[in-house]
Amino acid sequence: MDRFLAASQLTALADDLAQTGPVLAPIAEGGSVVFRWYRPGMRIELSRMASTSPKAATFPQTEPLLAVRREGEAKTPTVEATLPPRSRTVVLGCRPCGARGKEIFGPVFLGGVHDPYFARRREDALFMAVVCTRPETTCFCTSVGGGPADTVGVDVLLIPVEGGFVARSVTAAGEKVLAHALFAEAGARSAEADAVIAKANAAMPPQDDFRTAPEKLLARFDDKDFWERQSAKCISCGACTYMCPTCYCFNITDDDLGLESRRIRTWDNCMSYLFTLEGSGHNPRPTKAHRLKNRVSHKFSYYPTIHSGTIACCGCGRCIKHCPVGVDIRAIVRAAQEYGG
Amino acid sequence: MSASDSRELRIVGFLCNWCSYGGADTAGVARFAQPTDLRIIRVPCSGRIDPLFIVRALVNGADGVLVSGCHPRDCHYAEGNFYARRRLETLKRFLDATGIDPARFEYTWVSASEGQRWQHVVTEFTRRIHALGPAPLLRHVSDGAWFDAAAPAAAGPACPCHG
Amino acid sequence: MVEALKTAIAERLADLEMVIGWEMGFDALHATPLFIREEGDLHRLTLGPLAVHNLATYLPGLKGKKVGVVVKGCDSRSVIQLANEGLIKREDITVFGLCCDGVISHRKLREALPADLGFVEQATWHSDRLQAVVAGHAVEVRLQDILADKCISCRYPNALAADVLVGAARTPAPQPVPCQDAFDALPQAEKLAFWEATMARCIRCYACRNACPLCVCRDHCIATTRDPLWLGQENSPAENFMFQMIHVLHLAGRCTECGECERSCPVDIPLLLLRRSMNRVTEELFDYQAGTTPGQTPPLLTFQVEEARINERGW
Repeated sequence: MDRFLAASQLTALADDLAQTGPVLAPIAEGGSVVFRWYRPGMRIELSRMASTSPKAATFPQTEPLLAVRREGEAKTPTVEATLPPRSRTVVLGCRPCGARGKEIFGPVFLGGVHDPYFARRREDALFMAVVCTRPETTCFCTSVGGGPADTVGVDVLLIPVEGGFVARSVTAAGEKVLAHALFAEAGARSAEADAVIAKANAAMPPQDDFRTAPEKLLARFDDKDFWERQSAKCISCGACTYMCPTCYCFNITDDDLGLESRRIRTWDNCMSYLFTLEGSGHNPRPTKAHRLKNRVSHKFSYYPTIHSGTIACCGCGRCIKHCPVGVDIRAIVRAAQEYGG
Repeated sequence: MSASDSRELRIVGFLCNWCSYGGADTAGVARFAQPTDLRIIRVPCSGRIDPLFIVRALVNGADGVLVSGCHPRDCHYAEGNFYARRRLETLKRFLDATGIDPARFEYTWVSASEGQRWQHVVTEFTRRIHALGPAPLLRHVSDGAWFDAAAPAAAGPACPCHG
Repeated sequence: MVEALKTAIAERLADLEMVIGWEMGFDALHATPLFIREEGDLHRLTLGPLAVHNLATYLPGLKGKKVGVVVKGCDSRSVIQLANEGLIKREDITVFGLCCDGVISHRKLREALPADLGFVEQATWHSDRLQAVVAGHAVEVRLQDILADKCISCRYPNALAADVLVGAARTPAPQPVPCQDAFDALPQAEKLAFWEATMARCIRCYACRNACPLCVCRDHCIATTRDPLWLGQENSPAENFMFQMIHVLHLAGRCTECGECERSCPVDIPLLLLRRSMNRVTEELFDYQAGTTPGQTPPLLTFQVEEARINERGW
């Protein structure tokens, strides 16, 4: 179903949606655009891609898992699972790559094990993604199966047209949102929207062919020299992983507050030395070369090998754009693919 | 002494074992009345005090932090408090940029025999902190968790605390 | 300048394992560190206002190797400071120093352009002007309008203690930094509110820490140890801010104000406000600027029995 939302009504829509549940939206803040839990008065910024990804909607940086309470030293503590409250969560104004990103989590959190926290957040989340009309220099979604108007993981596609957006429902849940009074008849704008999508697709740069990546990266597994050169400029921080819409690794820690304690799950970062540090003191990934190898290979080799060829990357380019030293994951995969001619 | 404000505030004291802790002891033995807001943490030497102890205490909700050690040139370990003096003064002057009131942190030197001086220091510092009132605190929950807690509250009737 | 540098590097490359410089990165507005291992790599070397990275950051990780490094004035201070603290061996390092005209702030550039940096199609420098095509618009930006804040207040544009100095020496003309002045003028309560709001955006990726040339604990940072537990994992404003306190206080009297922390921040947190404030304190108290004098001891690693600028804090 197609409806129309005037650009001037975007804030009104956010205000309204925020009354019935959390809204995650790209907010202009201190020169940066980041996804924040929307509160009236915040400025939604769609003209550029947010620095952070919308993954907090389904996989927040801090997720309380358990609350432990003890009334007194002699009493038995109570332990309670702290599932997120049930309420529809709308991601308003992410890009299609951001919506696609969370699809990578599915096989991990709902495959062999069933993660109730993720499951609930995933069920309650609704993604309204804005079509990208122009690719950035770091965009490569089409090389990993996505596209500027990709609908994977999207509930409503917002297609920029003259004066606003054509809101195109992709799922039944999305269609329900479009019943909101702020949406008007799309009418002839549907055709304009189709043209915008066609133009957006045509504007994308030539695709990389990553089909040989899984095997070529695996072939470089023991090539210390290759990875040392590729990782020479890496400073081993976590900007790439924490910006990434598809990175799902986490850490679980206990926050001890005297008679109260919480178990929280927080994002973890495979570029950190502590990520694989074992209790014995042994670390199987002691250098940044080992760690960068894992990050790239996990996305472009191990994951697709296990999960029917799906690359664990949505091509948003945040890891390239926001890397303090300009490490380019595309270039590393290409280098592995082209290695030895 | 009872402070003008009857509510007790949280003041953390880092005292060196050899001088100021002894000084506090002397004040106690001499039965000098002191306000009770201060909680003392005994450390081997003022040189042991990492300025981050002080910042951590303030970020965690202390309303004031008092550091006291041996007088300069009188350190049990000869030079611990010379290093401490530089660190503490650096922190004191820097605090303004953090938005934490520098008046909430003070350092001083009290020897083991100076019970009266200790009484004076504690009383004055406690009075100062009471005049400042409870310290404003940075938020301790993340955005998401804050929202999870705020969302049911905003919904009204379903909220346990609003019946 | 770049040709003279290439020649100088080519002359010494045989004795060095590598020389670290810059090359163009993923687009026309970004340079990236270049590790020159053989003469064939030299043609990629680039200099100029996009060479923003402080390459001294890599030196502690290469300890024990004979390495060359290209440094701007500010970066050279990091080399001196690292050597002063025994974190690198000065004799292992060949310093190729530049006389620097300043580098850009990508944040300021983004604000000066009609569309995001990611939409750049072409960009060329004409001495102190950048001509670019961004999202179909041709624009021209003056370097002085997008200069990094550290360059505005720069006191050492010419690399210090360099083994090879390239370019014509510049006379420093430090100016106050407007955003620092505005911050300093805020009332205390507003400063706290400012940090609370700003730190809510921090994702604790530790880019600020890892980009810092003087943050040498690297894999053993107290921010990530569980015992002792200095920092909880929850990314609340309080914990995020506490991490900044760890960084600033561990850098007290050591920070060379290269600005890598602020530049690296993916969410544009103005971290230099804190570093600059601290540096002002250490300069005021100890008349000390980190990394400006080889052989000097950092002020917090020493003391004077009679401190000239600290009173005895009598009660």
